[in-house]
Amino acid sequence: MRSIPGRRYGPLLAALLLLAALGGALASVVRVRADLAEFLPPGHTRASEFLVRELRSGAATSLLLIGIEGAPSQELARLSRSLGAALRASGRFSFVGDGTTSLGDAEQALLFRHRYLLSPETRPEAFTEAALRTKLEALLDGLRSAASPLLARFGFADPTGAFLGLARHWLGESQLETQDGAWFATGTSPPRVLLIARSQGAGLDAEAQQQAVREVREAFTAADPGTAQLLLSGPGVFAAEAAATIRGDVHMVALLSGGLLAAFLLWRYRSLLLLALVAVPLGAGMVAGMAVTALAFGSVHGIALGFGMTMLGVTVDYPILLVTLRQRGEVLPEAAARIWPTLRLAAAAAALGLVAMLGSGFPGLVQLGLFAAAGLLAAAGVTRWVLPRLLPEARIEARPLPRWLACPLAGLRGRPGLALGVAAVAVAVLLALGGPRWQRDIAALSPVPRASQALDEELRRQLGAPDVRYLIALGPSDEEAVLRAAERLEAAVQPLIAGGVLAGLDLPSHYLPSRATQQARQAALPEPETLRERLQAAMSGMPFRANAFAPFLAAVAESRNLPPLDAAALSGAPTIAARLSPLLSRRGDAWQGLAVAKGVTDPAALAMAVAGLDDPAILFVDSKGETEGMLAAFARATVLWAAAGGVLVLALFAWALGGLRPALRIAAPVGGALVVTLAVLTAAGEALTLFHLASLLLLAAVSIDYSLFLRSSPESPDETGQSMGAVLNCAVCTLLTFGLLAFCGTPVLHGIGLTIAIGVAAAFLLACATVPRPAPRA
Amino acid sequence: MRKSRRALLLGIALAAAGLSFPAGAQEPALEALMRGMAAVRQRQESFTEEKTLPELDLPLPSQGILRWAAPDQLEKHTTSPIEERLRVQGDRMLYERPDRGISRQFGLDEQPEMRALVESIRATLAGDLAALRRHYDVSFSGMADGDWRLVLTPLSVRLRAVVQRIVLVGRGVQILAIETDGGGGITRMQITPLP
Repeated sequence: MRSIPGRRYGPLLAALLLLAALGGALASVVRVRADLAEFLPPGHTRASEFLVRELRSGAATSLLLIGIEGAPSQELARLSRSLGAALRASGRFSFVGDGTTSLGDAEQALLFRHRYLLSPETRPEAFTEAALRTKLEALLDGLRSAASPLLARFGFADPTGAFLGLARHWLGESQLETQDGAWFATGTSPPRVLLIARSQGAGLDAEAQQQAVREVREAFTAADPGTAQLLLSGPGVFAAEAAATIRGDVHMVALLSGGLLAAFLLWRYRSLLLLALVAVPLGAGMVAGMAVTALAFGSVHGIALGFGMTMLGVTVDYPILLVTLRQRGEVLPEAAARIWPTLRLAAAAAALGLVAMLGSGFPGLVQLGLFAAAGLLAAAGVTRWVLPRLLPEARIEARPLPRWLACPLAGLRGRPGLALGVAAVAVAVLLALGGPRWQRDIAALSPVPRASQALDEELRRQLGAPDVRYLIALGPSDEEAVLRAAERLEAAVQPLIAGGVLAGLDLPSHYLPSRATQQARQAALPEPETLRERLQAAMSGMPFRANAFAPFLAAVAESRNLPPLDAAALSGAPTIAARLSPLLSRRGDAWQGLAVAKGVTDPAALAMAVAGLDDPAILFVDSKGETEGMLAAFARATVLWAAAGGVLVLALFAWALGGLRPALRIAAPVGGALVVTLAVLTAAGEALTLFHLASLLLLAAVSIDYSLFLRSSPESPDETGQSMGAVLNCAVCTLLTFGLLAFCGTPVLHGIGLTIAIGVAAAFLLACATVPRPAPRA
Repeated sequence: MRKSRRALLLGIALAAAGLSFPAGAQEPALEALMRGMAAVRQRQESFTEEKTLPELDLPLPSQGILRWAAPDQLEKHTTSPIEERLRVQGDRMLYERPDRGISRQFGLDEQPEMRALVESIRATLAGDLAALRRHYDVSFSGMADGDWRLVLTPLSVRLRAVVQRIVLVGRGVQILAIETDGGGGITRMQITPLP
């Protein structure tokens, strides 16, 4: 009867190879997204819609924050200059900001020529005889000082100081300390230099962003950094880092938990063959999940992929149950046929439970639900129809449970009162703690490790990047309308700035006034003859030659007829265009403007001032409030759908088991496990995110197996012992898989691991306690 | 009167090095001057300055004190008609204008033009010919009596837009006058050593 191993294991090996090939092919074809924004739903309100769009493709997404530290100041400054020069030379960045930022010659000429159109100082009262006299006195004083070379160069063409005022306003807003051509973070020890770069690719273009990140790293290495270290942050870095972290975590978990699982299964079953058997439904589930998700969405999000693959770890239950519940003298196909009704019910209930995620409307969760449901059903189907055929004659038996384990478990059985007591304590704990805590900060959803988030915050603060919590959206509309809206907004918030509840607004109109404003300024410029007379009068008694201000008179005369600047013309001034671009950007045919509020101490007053404008083109956005509201809305939706899923699962049980009572008996340990898990998480201070919710759904799906299989076995002590062993094996496998996730760096994976590990232990023990005591042997 | 004796000695050395004055032969004399400059570690001098601008009828006069401490500290303290202080040390520059409450510090590298202007005097006082030649084409002529003339022409186009020529005139290790031509205007500074 002995056949050669090659023939005996041939189909199994072929199946594994086929799955590996399919998995490899899918991985190379399916696009994996990593940005958090892709995971987010489109907004429900105008403000949240705007916010999500900004998160996905806004100007902030192409920003790179760079820090260098770990060397003496002089060396840091050298590295900063060298890195800045290399990045500018690469042509991959639309803007590189560092301590050497200054206006280029052509740029300076363009801005100088348009100074009276751009300067807010261009008002009729700035050109009266008295005002001119004051300016001339200041000029003379300046010419006596050390600043005289600068003033000799600009002062006679621009005695009112319009251009120098603009340059100060445009370039001098940084709070950084400039030293030796580098920006130093103030008050840090050891010293740190900072740079900022805007890559040319749009935010959505992950490839361009990665390229930009690479460019920075290479330029840094080329600058011969020695002991100095590069600190990099920004959405582009996050995308790369998140992908790497998820990959790293999944690798770590897969390797470690794979090893532990294998060791555990080998100990319990003494069979290498079982490992191969377990891998088939698992692999099939992953391939199916990925394929279905990719078909439905066109791409798979990294979080859905990582989480989904982990979730499918529970499908190792199916082959373990199949192999362990096989009775003596049965071949695998017979066993599969016998346990199928229970297995089918378990898989259907689990998939039904995951439907809650499909209903959440949160794209990331929908992907995840679809991935997991498709994977679970595929794994169950493979366990029923494919696995038994691959190895029909397999005779793998679990060892009996060791006594130290079997005795307490047997003692636990038939104590529903104990189970009820535990659940009641959990409910009491939850009530005492005021219910589970919800995570309201969207950052907790981010796949970006906490350390990177902290670095980003630090660099942003040091660079003086504005707190983008309060934004005001302008438009979308045409360029002129957006700029006019910005100017209306500026006028409306003046009382707030004067009242000290707002430090200022960063507005696109600061860099590019609207056409209407520029034309108004042109109209404010006096006629050449009038200006000449006033200047003559103002100069009397001063040592200026009669024709000293000829360039000024000519410039004012020219300015009266210059065509106003627009965004296209301003592209000739790259430094200013780079300042403008995050605040005014083209979206298809329309323009979107953005105002960033700085130093807001009274958000309500700002919101009211904006609302008071009653202008459909000006929208106040509290980015934190909006995202929190969005998350809360989706959490509510998910809870509702989870409840609906629970009712559906209960209905399914009632239908399959013929009554509500048996259905409730099956569901009770599951409900108990959920309550216990919530209580433990809350007591441990975990704030619940959507991923915890998803984990709870998964937990419910898994623990249904335990309940169902423990109860479905015939009432003979031997067999109940057998199914208890099988279910224990399943529970330990799940614990090994998810328990390790709790040690992951990715916040999301950590939360999932903790939830499932606690829940599985609770579910197993509660299910044991509610199984009736075996009838004494006759 | 040690200083004047040293000036005399240097004058003799210079004269010996460049008795006849073909351009190429001035190099040893220039190097000797720089060595002499480097040997003076501290200086305190008063100055008077006149700025002449084509746009002004009258020159703008000012006066104050110059202080030098080797190897790299230079201060120009204007006392009249306005009080103003410019101090350079290493790569940092401090500008103070007490009557306006202005006090600003910046790196010389942020302002390449300023760096070159500072080095015209500082590198000369430090006797650092290499530093001088990084920014200027240097032309030197020395007379037999110890008088000399150093003509600096900026190498960078950007600087030449602001300053076309700087002429330093001295005797021995003492700079006596600095004349800066820029943008059609001339700034003349006369320097007198303080006791």
